[in-house]
Amino acid sequence: MRDGDGSTLLALFAVFAPLSLLSFGGSNAVLADIAQQSIAVHGWTSQREFADFFALSRAAPGPGSMLVALIGWKIAGISGALVATASLYLPAAVLLYGLSRVWGRWRGSAWHSAIERGMAPIAAGLFLSGGLAVLRASPGGPAVWAAAIVTTAALLRWPKLHPVPLLAAGGALFAVIAAL
Amino acid sequence: MQAQRSNLADNPAPAIAAVGIWRIFGAFLWLGCTSFGGGSAGWLYREMVLKRRWIDDQTFLAAMALGQVMPGANGVKLSVLIGQHLKGAPGAAVAVFGLLAGPFAIILAVGAVYAGLGEHAILHAVLDGVAATVVGLTFATGLRSAWKGSPGMLPLMIAAVTVLCVGILRWPLIPVVLALAPVSIGLAFTIPRHR
Repeated sequence: MRDGDGSTLLALFAVFAPLSLLSFGGSNAVLADIAQQSIAVHGWTSQREFADFFALSRAAPGPGSMLVALIGWKIAGISGALVATASLYLPAAVLLYGLSRVWGRWRGSAWHSAIERGMAPIAAGLFLSGGLAVLRASPGGPAVWAAAIVTTAALLRWPKLHPVPLLAAGGALFAVIAAL
Repeated sequence: MQAQRSNLADNPAPAIAAVGIWRIFGAFLWLGCTSFGGGSAGWLYREMVLKRRWIDDQTFLAAMALGQVMPGANGVKLSVLIGQHLKGAPGAAVAVFGLLAGPFAIILAVGAVYAGLGEHAILHAVLDGVAATVVGLTFATGLRSAWKGSPGMLPLMIAAVTVLCVGILRWPLIPVVLALAPVSIGLAFTIPRHR
């Protein structure tokens, strides 16, 4: 791993910190832009690497968006991983900390309800866009699209399915197909 | 300090003993390392409210409500608010640090193994399968919240425009959200809630 020079670290911060403040509905919401910036704009990862990092970060414990640590680590070593992770999580955390202190006055106001209802469809649209970005980056082709659609349908039908066995089943199925 | 801590709850939780900073760190470190499948609110609820009884239901729900209107990863947001409730700014800081430290170390270790394996056909196939399943989870969440999060034709159109701009045309997310958010919030403000 190379050690990060200042401009690489600054670029990681400049990409991820603004996204932190726009990740309404969770950091899944900015996945589409993380993909676009990492693959097309900055060339930090190939499509293959992005899709693999995405899968690795979801198979590991913790927030799924921890894939930014892998992106930072790949281009700038441990300092890149730290800067990318801090940039994606800390700005939103600090903003929330500051706002929670004045929250008592806002609770139940018309604005609170309007923000909540107004941001919900945008967050939903961003979630779907993030999924599309991963499918586009994945070199697995039509099989990956088909498996994603089947999983979507299964989860809409049976919402209580636990994600971990599903991930294991998905990985195992593709391993068997590849081995044959 | 007391005033700021009790913001989240209408009644500051009684009978809940002060929790030391190291115990907060340890609890969130454990949560971070065990929250497979995305650090969900359900995990935090079980650990903080049901098991350890560090906060009560009302405080947890208030934190969820605030988290819903703010940006950020959901587990991180809840950790900030619960940590703050338990021990002010230091509590919030150690909660977030604890939650992220384990997964950060684990993902780098996993990444190192991945880099060491290089071009490995079965490994790539497994990762493709995992990615496909996770995309299915993401789609299901997005579709369900587009449908249930705020019912009505206008919100569905906002969701569709978001998918068109960001997901299909691949426009940069930041200007799209900055343009759509005021419109969508304004609509929600002027149109009364349909129930």
